[in-house]
Amino acid sequence: MRKVLLHSALTFLAVLFILPFYWTFLSAVKSTAELYQFPPVFWPSEWHFENFAASWNKLPFNTFLWNSTVVVMLSTIGQLISSSLVAFGFARFRFPGRDALFILLLATMMIPWDVKMIPLYMEFNFLGWINTLKPLIVPAYFADAFFVFMLRQFIMTIPLEIDEAARMDGASNFDIYWRIHLPLMLPGLILVGTFHFMNAWNDYLGPLIFLNDQSQYTLTLGLALLKNPHDLDITAIAAITTLLCLPPLVLFFLAQRYIMDGAVGSAVKG
Amino acid sequence: MKTVSTWIAGSLVASVLSLAPAVQAEEVLRFATWDSDESLAIEQAIAKKFEETHPGVKVQVEAYGGDGYDQKLAAGFGAGNPPDVMYMWNFPQYYTSLMPLDDLIAKDAAALDIKDIPEGLLNASRIDGKTYGMPAGFTTHVIFYNKDMFAKAGVEEPKDGWTWDDLRAKAAKFRNEAAKTYGFAVDAKPDPYDFEQFLWSNGTRYISDDGKQLDGYMNSKEAAEVLDMFGDMAKKQEAATINVGEVTSASTLFKGGQIAMMEGAMWNKSGIDKSGVKYGVAMLPAFKGKPVQSAISISAMSIAKDAKSPDLAWEFVKFYTSPEAIAMRKNDLPVRTSVAESQGMTKDPVFKPFFDILAVSTKERPAFLKNPKWAQIQENLAVAIEAAITEQGNAQAHLDEAVQRSKRFLK
Amino acid sequence: MDATPAKRRRARLSITPYLFISPWLLGFLLFTLGPLVFSLTMSFYDWPVVGERSFVGLDNYRSMLTDDPAFWESLGITTRFALIYVPFNIVLSFLLALLLHHARFGAGFFRTAFYLPSVISGVALVMIWNWIYSEQYGLLNYMLSFAGIGPVNWLGEKNLAVLAIIIASLWGLGSTMLILLTGLKGIPRELYEAATVSGVPGWAQMIFITLPMLGPILVFTFITSIIAAFQQLTIALLLTKGGPQKATYFFAMYIYDNAFKFYDMGYAAAGSWIMFLIVLVLSMLVMRWSAAWSYYEGELKSEDGGRNA
Repeated sequence: MRKVLLHSALTFLAVLFILPFYWTFLSAVKSTAELYQFPPVFWPSEWHFENFAASWNKLPFNTFLWNSTVVVMLSTIGQLISSSLVAFGFARFRFPGRDALFILLLATMMIPWDVKMIPLYMEFNFLGWINTLKPLIVPAYFADAFFVFMLRQFIMTIPLEIDEAARMDGASNFDIYWRIHLPLMLPGLILVGTFHFMNAWNDYLGPLIFLNDQSQYTLTLGLALLKNPHDLDITAIAAITTLLCLPPLVLFFLAQRYIMDGAVGSAVKG
Repeated sequence: MKTVSTWIAGSLVASVLSLAPAVQAEEVLRFATWDSDESLAIEQAIAKKFEETHPGVKVQVEAYGGDGYDQKLAAGFGAGNPPDVMYMWNFPQYYTSLMPLDDLIAKDAAALDIKDIPEGLLNASRIDGKTYGMPAGFTTHVIFYNKDMFAKAGVEEPKDGWTWDDLRAKAAKFRNEAAKTYGFAVDAKPDPYDFEQFLWSNGTRYISDDGKQLDGYMNSKEAAEVLDMFGDMAKKQEAATINVGEVTSASTLFKGGQIAMMEGAMWNKSGIDKSGVKYGVAMLPAFKGKPVQSAISISAMSIAKDAKSPDLAWEFVKFYTSPEAIAMRKNDLPVRTSVAESQGMTKDPVFKPFFDILAVSTKERPAFLKNPKWAQIQENLAVAIEAAITEQGNAQAHLDEAVQRSKRFLK
Repeated sequence: MDATPAKRRRARLSITPYLFISPWLLGFLLFTLGPLVFSLTMSFYDWPVVGERSFVGLDNYRSMLTDDPAFWESLGITTRFALIYVPFNIVLSFLLALLLHHARFGAGFFRTAFYLPSVISGVALVMIWNWIYSEQYGLLNYMLSFAGIGPVNWLGEKNLAVLAIIIASLWGLGSTMLILLTGLKGIPRELYEAATVSGVPGWAQMIFITLPMLGPILVFTFITSIIAAFQQLTIALLLTKGGPQKATYFFAMYIYDNAFKFYDMGYAAAGSWIMFLIVLVLSMLVMRWSAAWSYYEGELKSEDGGRNA
């Protein structure tokens, strides 16, 4: 009985969360007439699936897709490596200046983008990185504060005895990071991967500021080019949005099972 | 499987390494535009044409649609790496980093035939007597009306020299609460730049010509009259009220046949064309006994002061304002009288009102050219307009407050 | 005589921890410190995007605090938003995470469903919320009409618009929920089994096992929610543009406008630093306060840690 209640509550909530996405999908395939009908049409009389291809072909979206893929893949790898290393360093060592540095790290999360933008642009311009994908990739190899903070908190929930036992067996610090904490962190790393993937995939301001040429554009910039301020083409925007959502959703669906019943739990047991 | 992933990883890395700012033998000219969608396609076509006649030159059209443009430009200029050529409207903010064009215009006077471009279009890009931009396209404001709705309701179509009283009388006849159809739409969040045309037409302006005085201008009796009139139209349901809450546009309602008339500009035309609504175009109505005026929105081309090759940039700007290129622009109006005439636009009933009103709309200078803090003042003004339309009246009090709040920007 | 303690201190100081945090340290020096110093400098200048810059000392701060009503208004709106958003974001995420934690069927599907809104961004968000909140055509009013509640202008009334923004923001709680869910999954099941065997009731297990074990994660969500609340910009910018009549004009939007509408970079930088200080102080308070109740494992002493350096 409790399970039935639980699952009906979940189903109800899930519908609430999915409905808007479903509507975006509908707006992409509806006929123009049904777009503005009231009461809303939840099952269109005609399905215009050709809208997807038509919208995709309006602009060189294949190029944009490739650029987005490059940025997301390479920066995600960097973020996973660097943030886990740094998080381990902050979580498991006591060293001079640690607390001050950690506060500094927290503080970097709180700087609004508006003021960082121009100096960063100057710096990347000096490096010759403007109009390349590098400004969108390289910084990810230097650990984002949000992810460091998150992983550190996860590591802190892991009992210290595990480290000590390994040390008794002669493991080095790097061994402890690599063989013990990295596997234990897997759920946390999945989160870092997911969140970073989403941030990079949906990032609009970064590409806008650092890229110039259409051949370098990412998908979000391409989507913005469809946006006519005086006359919004809802069908095309909905179609591209739907397509944009799919890769992260599929990936997330595949990755989320690793968050399942803690790798942590079994390690503690063993 | 492994080889595939190795290949993908390899090509990812390779592509990043190779993606230095595309090393090309040809000369690259950076051109930034705020256009998107169809208008962007037109610009790209013009750029292609230019490349054909200039071998070895690549025009890199950088499109930053919508709100992104201002931010992108701020970053580029702020960091000293602006595009070579760009669309520009905010001359007061950027002119110190733009190239004055007067000498170049004088040098190429014969080829440029500057007299072919109405003086009013050039004025908007002048600061302290120097010209910083060449107009490439423009639009004035007009009234679009739905011919079928007019015929069905038996209402006489607008005539030249009509007034707001005429418009209101016509609009009242379309009111139908059940079907949610109205005669007109009143916008609670208009672009204040465009909205000043109504103040001009009623004999006032936002700010004194020396840019130092708001009191008696923005909150003048005439300004309040304009707002109260729109508020009253909303109250009496002669017009639908839009943008109180959800974001809509008059053109969406117009295209859906829910309003019989709308105030609009060239940027609305192609959407309306596509909707299939049979429409006519009329001049903006006048306030009784006063001369009517329209806001003019101009796409002007500017060159950055430190453009890499100023000569090439100027060549491009010249080509962009040549009759050939201007004739290609279908989403705004030709800045050259000769092009307008050769295409018969000045006689065409759809285009004629745009040009007719241009001829009488060159007297006023828009507010942002008069005071460097205008953007801040405009925020307060926008709140006053929104409040007056939402409350359907009480304009004087709201405008007074806007003036009061803006005092600190006049120092 | 003095050499011995100095030597010992040097021996204790190991390079290993610094190696671990070096990616961030380097990144901080390369990509953050410069812009930070730059923006602090800017805040003491009258700094247009182009053209002449002039040193004005504390003038930007002074006029912001004493002469600019929009500063206090937007700060007030943001504070009120944060007071509602932060607790709701954490509590609702936690409840949802608990529900999911106990789900037996379709757990993957539900997780994906609740995360879905966080995947959608930008232009599409505007379309979706515009449709939901629309007075005439909106889904919300359509559903309310069955309950006999007349059309409500969600985005058109000052108080309702704030509520609408809060709901739209909470709709994206998928990330916070996932973090908490991951934390829940990490709590060893033996603890609960032992507690159940000893006859500890469910609510007590929640208070004495779940919450303390989740402590560091809760601190994280608390602090990041505060930051998110103060930096709230996108939804309001896209959905209400700060309206109606500035009712949703958030502090982040105020900074944004100063930078990109008014091109007053110095003033915007000053605003950012004020926001920065506020959020920093709040975060420090949370950290300090959390140290009292949250369960922390210690860390390796660097004497031991340095052994293999």
